[in-house]
Amino acid sequence: MENQDLDRKEILNGLIEVLKTVRTIDPARLEGITEETDFMTDMDTPSTELINIAAKVEQKFGIEFEDEDIDELGSKVKDIINLIIKAKERANS
Amino acid sequence: MAKKLTDEQIADQFKKAIDTNLIGQLPRNWMLHGASKRYVDKYLYHQPNVGIVASYTPTATDVKDHFNLFRGVDQIEAFAQASIVSCATFLECRKLNVIPGDLGKLFVPAFISVGQVYFHSYLEKGQTFINIGIIKFYKWRQMVCDGRLYKIPKGFDLKEYFKDYNDTRLLAYDVPKEFILVAELFDITGRGIKKEMFEKIQ
Repeated sequence: MENQDLDRKEILNGLIEVLKTVRTIDPARLEGITEETDFMTDMDTPSTELINIAAKVEQKFGIEFEDEDIDELGSKVKDIINLIIKAKERANS
Repeated sequence: MAKKLTDEQIADQFKKAIDTNLIGQLPRNWMLHGASKRYVDKYLYHQPNVGIVASYTPTATDVKDHFNLFRGVDQIEAFAQASIVSCATFLECRKLNVIPGDLGKLFVPAFISVGQVYFHSYLEKGQTFINIGIIKFYKWRQMVCDGRLYKIPKGFDLKEYFKDYNDTRLLAYDVPKEFILVAELFDITGRGIKKEMFEKIQ
């Protein structure tokens, strides 16, 4: 459990690095970001930007998302973290 | 009157196209919505991962109740059909090895976003125009295209002109001086949404 929490924290830090490169995200809003932060309601991120974020996340973490992963992707930070973990597990299986 | 193709003929056409491109294909076989809302007549150039050139000539119905002009919003629709709908349908059919009719049972093509659009001229009934669509992004059934619409001089032989076209010229919007720029479009985005998800959208 501790390891998983540590992984999630590392992933969140990596995700924040990605988000710093996204033009439509105000860097000031990245302070205090948590897993419950919602890109659309809390950060005013356009819904179309989620696809761009997903593409950047793939590069950053060296993983691949499937069409279905993106179909089911929610708009909270934890949804992306869960997806990263899922894609990593899939790659290692 | 155009003869309706049998399922076998459509499947045969599909097999030939899927290994090459959409040039010479009938748009009605690749866009599944009805004829009254179909704004592509001919595919003139197509490089599956790069972009497309397609033509359309507005009909009397297209300009009815609108000053005899093809509406700006329909120009955007025409562009989306020529670029995103046609190109993404082609790539998705290739990926899943299905014909467009079967793809249509799984997904609904939907507008996601329209970026900047600049109108420079207008289109009347019977004035042929081309869409040049350039693919900027395609992943997870979402496609983003930039492009332009050009009005074509009457009698211009588009098929002859585009038979030796290439990607370099496409990306540079290399067209004859007598073509008139009608519109520039940026970040036009569409996505194939799963039917069951689409039906859940209120």
